[in-house]
Amino acid sequence: MGIKERRFTRDKFEFAITMLACAVVLYMLVSIFYLYVAVGQSWNLVVSALFDSRVIGAVVISVSSSLIVGGLAVAAAVPCAYLLAYKDFRGKGILETFLIDLPQTFPPVTEGLVYLLMLGPLGLAYTYTAVIIAKFYVSAPFTISFTTRSFKGIKESGLDTIARSLGAKTRDILVRVLLPLSGRDMLAGFSLTWARAMGELAATLVFAGAIPWSTEIIPTLVYLTAAETPQVAIAASVIAETLSIAALLSFRWVVRRR
Amino acid sequence: MMGLRVENVTKSYGGVKALDQVELTVDAAEFMVVMGPSGCGKTTLLLVILGALTPDDGRIWIDGKEVNQLPLEERNIGYVPQDFGLFPHLDVYENVAFGIRVRGYLEVRIRERVTELLEIMDLKGLESRKPRELSAGQEQRVALARALATNPSVLLLDEPLSNVDEATKAQVGTNLKEVQERSNITTLCVTHNPEDAFGLGERIAIMYSGKIIQCATPRSILENPRNELVRKLIAPMYILWSHKS
Repeated sequence: MGIKERRFTRDKFEFAITMLACAVVLYMLVSIFYLYVAVGQSWNLVVSALFDSRVIGAVVISVSSSLIVGGLAVAAAVPCAYLLAYKDFRGKGILETFLIDLPQTFPPVTEGLVYLLMLGPLGLAYTYTAVIIAKFYVSAPFTISFTTRSFKGIKESGLDTIARSLGAKTRDILVRVLLPLSGRDMLAGFSLTWARAMGELAATLVFAGAIPWSTEIIPTLVYLTAAETPQVAIAASVIAETLSIAALLSFRWVVRRR
Repeated sequence: MMGLRVENVTKSYGGVKALDQVELTVDAAEFMVVMGPSGCGKTTLLLVILGALTPDDGRIWIDGKEVNQLPLEERNIGYVPQDFGLFPHLDVYENVAFGIRVRGYLEVRIRERVTELLEIMDLKGLESRKPRELSAGQEQRVALARALATNPSVLLLDEPLSNVDEATKAQVGTNLKEVQERSNITTLCVTHNPEDAFGLGERIAIMYSGKIIQCATPRSILENPRNELVRKLIAPMYILWSHKS
């Protein structure tokens, strides 16, 4: 087989792969942007629903609780990442699975039930705190995972050993080496945590319920109104989706600029 | 005894002995080079002395004090790794100031010490540059300045000339010797390169398979290599030597 023939064969394969990738991209983009087509179809109803008190309440609760969850995730990620990157102990791999992988695959509805049974008797069910607790479990692992990866990379580079040889204690290493060098990864983790928290439904619905202006978030509002008043569901969804896209793009921009 | 003493140190990784009863004494203010092929245990030896690795057996003495139980940050050792290990997010000034800053020095004292070291290392004017904006020779000088800023008892250098290009190697090597002599600091340097070892060391310890097989002055090793293995390891030096003489 000559060189030209071989190149042709590879090109055909490359073309097939590119087409397959384009199909996936198209599927993803249609899934994301079809909502805006739906808005266009019932524009007036949706626009008036945007100013519905219940929709505004759900947006406020969703955004504020997701921001708090993002902040808490960063605070939780630092000690967890330090433990996973720097301490050697038996069962570390399993702990990492429980901290990072399991929460992302654990059925959220089951997690909501666990919280309802465990923390309900303490009076935490159906409160704003319950919204945060439920969202935290499923979304914090993104920040923990990104921060851990970054800390492990720094350990690999030996910069912490050099810092210690210069007299730095653990606090100095955290403040002067690990955190400044992990800022980009932590910000990326925060943005994904925020986005995941914005989309959390099942655990919040089971544990926190859907009390307007208290525990009702955009996903629960969409779930409860989709059948009877779809324009409200569409209005709430379009706000959530626009916010998520804007937030992810701006975080991406900030991360690339750093 | 002032200086560094490594006494009967052993370190294994999963049954493989990286260090096998290593004995080594570096006199105060001496420049000692440990030379050996890749994987012979040189870097392990350095990391054990530094305190980043715990030996399975043996003791480390610095200026007459056993340091086995001391954590890395309390051993007062200056360390320059192979890639210089500069903090990429800090400029030259802050890199040099790092050690004295974390030790709680006053800002005035930090400024004085950093300025002094930048002058000695010929780094004036580069204070606000980030490591990525420096040449390999400049990076090495910053790393040395940072390691010396805390007045360490011992300086450990891991392959200090391996990241420097051939054109500037001689100058960087000379500069390294000058700095070591001026600061009068006990120095242990490891390298795989015989030319670097013979150019830098007052004494050279030849290491092979985790053991020191000969330790003497460069001339003495060249004239009386202990065995065929030593002769083989320093073979390139005979060619250079014959060219010189």
